[in-house]
Amino acid sequence: MAGVLARVIQRTKPQLGIVGPLVAKGNSNVPVRYQGTQKQPEGKQRGSPLNDSDRIFTNLYGRHDWRLKGAMSRGDWYKTKEILLKGSDWIVNEMKTSGLRGRGGAGFPTGMKWSFMKKPSDGRPHYLVVNADEGEPGTCKDREIMRHDPHKLVEGCLIAGRAINAIAAYIYIRGEFYNEASNLQVAIAEAYQAGLLGKDACGSGYAFDVYVHRGAGAYICGEETALIESIEGKQGKPRLKPPFPADIGLFGCPTTVNNVETISVAPTICRRGGAWFASFGRVRNQGTKLYNISGHVNTPCTVEEEMSIPLKELIERHAGGVIGGWDNLLAIIPGGSSTPLIPKSVCDTVLMDFDALVAAQSAFGTAAIIVMDKSTDIVKAIARLIMFYKHESCGQCTPCREGVGWMNKIIYRMVDGNASPKEIDMLWEISKQIEGHTICALGDGAAWPVQGLIRHFRPELERRMAQYAATHGPSKAERLY
Amino acid sequence: MFQVISRAARLSRTPLSRSLPAFSTTSQINGRDQLGRHEAPMIDNDVVVASPDEKQQKSVLESTISVPVKVDLTPVSGVPEEHIKPRRVRIYQPPKNAMQSGTNNIHHWEMEFDNRQRWENPLMGWTSTGDPLSNMKVAFRSPEEAIEHCEKNGWSWFLDVPKIEKPVRPKNYGLNFSWNRRTRVSTK
Amino acid sequence: MLRQPLSRALTLSSPVRAAPLAARPYAAQAPPPPEKVEVFIDDKPVHVLPGTTILQAAALVGVEIPRFCYHERLAVAGNCRMCLVEIERSPKPAAACAMPVMKGMRVKTNSDLTKKAREGVMEFLLVNHPLDCPICDQGGECDLQDQSMAFGSDRSRFTDIHFSGKRAVEDKDVGPLIKTIMTRCIHCTRCIRFASEVAGVDDFGTTGRGSDMQVGTYVEKMFLSELSGNIIDLCPVGALTSKPYSFAARPWETRRIDSVDVLDPLGSNIVIATRTNEVLRILPRTNEEINEEWLSDKSRFACDGLKRQRLVTPMMTDSRGNLTPVEWEDAMVAAARALRDCPPGKLLAVAGDLADAESLVALKDLVNRLGSDSTCTEQYFPLDGAGIDLRSSYLCNTKIANVEDADFVLLIGTNTRFEAPLLNARIRKAFIHKDTDVALIGPKVDLTYEYIHVGDSASAVKDLATGSSSHEVMKRLEAAKRPVVILGADQLKTPEGAAILAYTQELALRLQDKLEDKKWKVLNVLQRTASQVAALDIGYQPGVGAALQAGPQVVYLLGADSGVVSRDQLPKGATVIYQGHHGDAGAAIADIVLPGAAYTEKRATYVNAEGRAQQTLVAVTPPGKAREDWKIIRALSEVVGQRLPYDTLDEVRDRLSEISPALVTYGDVQDNNYFAQARSLAQSLQKPVSGKVDVQLKKLEDFFMTDPISRASPTMAKCVQAVIKQKSSKY
Repeated sequence: MAGVLARVIQRTKPQLGIVGPLVAKGNSNVPVRYQGTQKQPEGKQRGSPLNDSDRIFTNLYGRHDWRLKGAMSRGDWYKTKEILLKGSDWIVNEMKTSGLRGRGGAGFPTGMKWSFMKKPSDGRPHYLVVNADEGEPGTCKDREIMRHDPHKLVEGCLIAGRAINAIAAYIYIRGEFYNEASNLQVAIAEAYQAGLLGKDACGSGYAFDVYVHRGAGAYICGEETALIESIEGKQGKPRLKPPFPADIGLFGCPTTVNNVETISVAPTICRRGGAWFASFGRVRNQGTKLYNISGHVNTPCTVEEEMSIPLKELIERHAGGVIGGWDNLLAIIPGGSSTPLIPKSVCDTVLMDFDALVAAQSAFGTAAIIVMDKSTDIVKAIARLIMFYKHESCGQCTPCREGVGWMNKIIYRMVDGNASPKEIDMLWEISKQIEGHTICALGDGAAWPVQGLIRHFRPELERRMAQYAATHGPSKAERLY
Repeated sequence: MFQVISRAARLSRTPLSRSLPAFSTTSQINGRDQLGRHEAPMIDNDVVVASPDEKQQKSVLESTISVPVKVDLTPVSGVPEEHIKPRRVRIYQPPKNAMQSGTNNIHHWEMEFDNRQRWENPLMGWTSTGDPLSNMKVAFRSPEEAIEHCEKNGWSWFLDVPKIEKPVRPKNYGLNFSWNRRTRVSTK
Repeated sequence: MLRQPLSRALTLSSPVRAAPLAARPYAAQAPPPPEKVEVFIDDKPVHVLPGTTILQAAALVGVEIPRFCYHERLAVAGNCRMCLVEIERSPKPAAACAMPVMKGMRVKTNSDLTKKAREGVMEFLLVNHPLDCPICDQGGECDLQDQSMAFGSDRSRFTDIHFSGKRAVEDKDVGPLIKTIMTRCIHCTRCIRFASEVAGVDDFGTTGRGSDMQVGTYVEKMFLSELSGNIIDLCPVGALTSKPYSFAARPWETRRIDSVDVLDPLGSNIVIATRTNEVLRILPRTNEEINEEWLSDKSRFACDGLKRQRLVTPMMTDSRGNLTPVEWEDAMVAAARALRDCPPGKLLAVAGDLADAESLVALKDLVNRLGSDSTCTEQYFPLDGAGIDLRSSYLCNTKIANVEDADFVLLIGTNTRFEAPLLNARIRKAFIHKDTDVALIGPKVDLTYEYIHVGDSASAVKDLATGSSSHEVMKRLEAAKRPVVILGADQLKTPEGAAILAYTQELALRLQDKLEDKKWKVLNVLQRTASQVAALDIGYQPGVGAALQAGPQVVYLLGADSGVVSRDQLPKGATVIYQGHHGDAGAAIADIVLPGAAYTEKRATYVNAEGRAQQTLVAVTPPGKAREDWKIIRALSEVVGQRLPYDTLDEVRDRLSEISPALVTYGDVQDNNYFAQARSLAQSLQKPVSGKVDVQLKKLEDFFMTDPISRASPTMAKCVQAVIKQKSSKY
């Protein structure tokens, strides 16, 4: 779960009691509520297709050599020494200029995150941790990078490490990614042999090590503090924040945790300049992004595109359109399984970036677009996601441990319709009781799909219940609740 | 004896003093609005028309009266002497139940009598006792009130002050992950 | 003398709830605290140190935030989410137990958001919690019950109980003390944290994930700790309950009597729960200066020994040498005759482990009046040098609570883990929270924390004392600002005991003289029994060796059960009078048995290892014809014709205060002095030593049965068996 689960701060409804009209109007005129911002500032209003010359990941499909030689021919490791010698302030500043927001899901500005590591040292070393535990259903961008462009990541580690003055980077890679881990390890070994890493990285005098740590297949270990715990050899259970990893992180030392994609774009940003990167996408949503399009499309793919590109255009251009045509579309989960789904009416116009999707009551997440056409049993699809979250809940804190399991029970009854319509509101309330009350964002991630379902497909739920009642008589839940 | 003196001395070290019952009228005078002084004082009609005798009577009634501090109820309470003289009262603060974390029910002081024999009633299996004071638990806000109550009733008492004060040490969640301290947690 | 307050003259004042107490002096000597920040809890301002958590700040203004996982003596876990509170200008509630306060923070513990969050958490906790309160031992003292009443919803909407039901979890077997019903577990992890932090046995943990998460030992294993019972208290639900107490009583049926434990030398404060003249269980009572809120397993679970093997009637040997029950008169007359006929100087009184100060003083007075001088205790203490004349030589002068402020602890010939488990818990607390290092001279034992082992030869003590040691511990001790040296009393009975004591005194006082902190005391002698300090204060001679050599004609055993007096050491025809509460070693050799009262059955004074007098209270009445001990001796004195001049307990205590006021200043402990004198008197005793330093209680199985009460306890016997069985298991 490459950090999709970091929280997007949404306004909490003050009262959870009676839920108002849950079916969203489906337009994007809802004011943007992202970190207090009220309206979209001036600037580029939407993204457009990217030129090949502006692509960062030039070997995304593995058509070229992924090893050091091939990577260097594509421009990796070019003048890395000069970048390193410009110093940490310059790198951080460049990242701030670029407007890069974390690609793991929460979208926290990377430059700001790195600047938290500037505090005067108290003797503790700094660490960089790269979150390569890409476990979010639908998300498959980091594996492409590690498989086909590992040197981007390795170089990014060095530059990010320089920026935060880290002594080492730990790449926590999902255990299932065997080939990716082995390619990455080869890339690291090549970099060491070429003197790009190690005691005198790139001849800059800066000592830096990169370690690969393979996980053991727990989605929760993609949460940054759980990931830290896991590297430390403990059960991957998230820590409370504060203290943030920038204060007490890996081995108790200041740590920055970044997504693979975030780290991998850093060298290119430094080489081509933050302003170049910022020229893509809308303000506060700048840059290019890897989109993963899966589900009911003709050609599922991972593609690099500009931020703020309209969802429909993205799907039509790169994924060959929805199976059976755009009108056959039912709903889309726009940012990985933990984000609320959006119905077709929203999909028609929505832009793919952080603010626009928040305005559409969803989230950008990792930009893993799951397309569902009208053949989909939407309730069952969401139920399957909840089962996934139930299975992956670490069990540490109460709302997630007990609540997600409970939601799972209810929603599987709703798949059959064996439930009372009153339980839809109850389910909504339960999801609200989980959201925001847990230690990490897995609780939120489990609650949002349910909320999206209820928000947009309440009639479908009620229809199933009516159908069940017609064939089986009223559900037992009708009498109980 | 030593024990009582040391306890009481300790109790008396606290700075707050018990507020006196408001028998005195001085507080009203002091409490008058300072800005209201320029107005003529309000004089009650009854005062103007009262005879000197009545005035004197009124002033007697208004003056502070003193009540005896030490009251001994033993001659009038009707409690048999065998339940006054040999009984000993323990004045204490109820301890927190170790099994629970709530503390709402222990912020008071209680008195209890020395424990006497109990036995199981053969009829129902309930507990019987021959001690009429066995179940007399009285709660007080402060040990002083409890002491006063005991003394009124002629019971000898002793005070058991629990040692529950401790310096507040800020708890720190970060210590669980400290890099150089033994507070680092290994098991979860 | 009735304890009437002459002190009424002192203006009683201040209905302040917590009476002011002498705060521990050494904690205050830390560097000046940083400036306090002001925060508002429900609009009530409070000034707290930066870094304080919201929950702690709220406690200061009397706002109690509900919690399950948080415990003030354990690390913060923050996983139950019950303590969620609303913070102004924060979109979501924060866990009060872990969130540090910020300047000007406004916390609302009673807002709608907070209430809703609590209600939600409560609902989730109850989803998988079985509704078996009627058969749950925690019922009536269950945090989950109380908090669901206070903060939960008034109805259940868990309809899925009728579809898929609740989770069920297999119970674990963690030994004969703790019963586990893991279905009730709410995963607060308090037991895990207790085991790893306080008990130092990292056996507990969670396995599984999500709703399949289980708390338990990873492999089925006994919880091998001397403090295991505390997890029963810590468990906020009925997942961990007391096995011996299971289905015995409801908390509202029991009567709780505050008392003091006597099964180890620390005098932990306890609450005795009784019903119909029967001790049902013992719980700890908070005393910050002694046991905090923990209790060792022996103190907690040995109470079933109070009902077994009791002496309930006076007994005398019949013509065939068997003890037969008799009436009090016969036993008294026989005992009095033996005492009266005994030639002066041929009378020996021996006090045992559990003797209280009142009976000790009464017995000594009686023996003295009969013209004899030999009153002894079973535990030996060297009489050379200052001997027992200076109180500082036989006490824990540092005091238990101050041990956690120490920066270096040297243990000499003591296994504190089993001799005084809660002192060991303090040392462990210092080890963990203050980074205190510990060194041990003695056999390698498991103290639950790492220590520097200096070897087990007595000469190591000598080398340290004379400063000739080249061991790193020497440098550490010299550099320590608040060192603590603890000498186990077991060492003192060896022939080299006097020299070891002398060297320890020399070492401790040499260190103490150099300290900047003039109030800090270094020297500690850890006694093994609850009676020893009071006996030495009263003037008993430690050890029976010399007195037995004199060939006593009459031996009066006051609960002396450790077997140091045996028949074959006594001249033929000697009369043994045993007064005590259990039929143990002492009663077995007695001619006349006078049944006494156990510590739960009398109001009596005990002085703990640091010299703190505390009193037990009557929880139940002595069984059968048994009587309070001092009364037996007082009655006997009347029959002998040497009437003791006290008729009531208060008069006995007046006699005690004549001997030493410290014996009746209950609850308090005084600082000891005259260290320099003890040191100079000990100088001549610093003879070469060559022996080994050894401890008696080495392993957990040695810990459970050390005195007549625990030897009579079936629970303790089961513990010993279970420990031995566990140790032979491959896990």
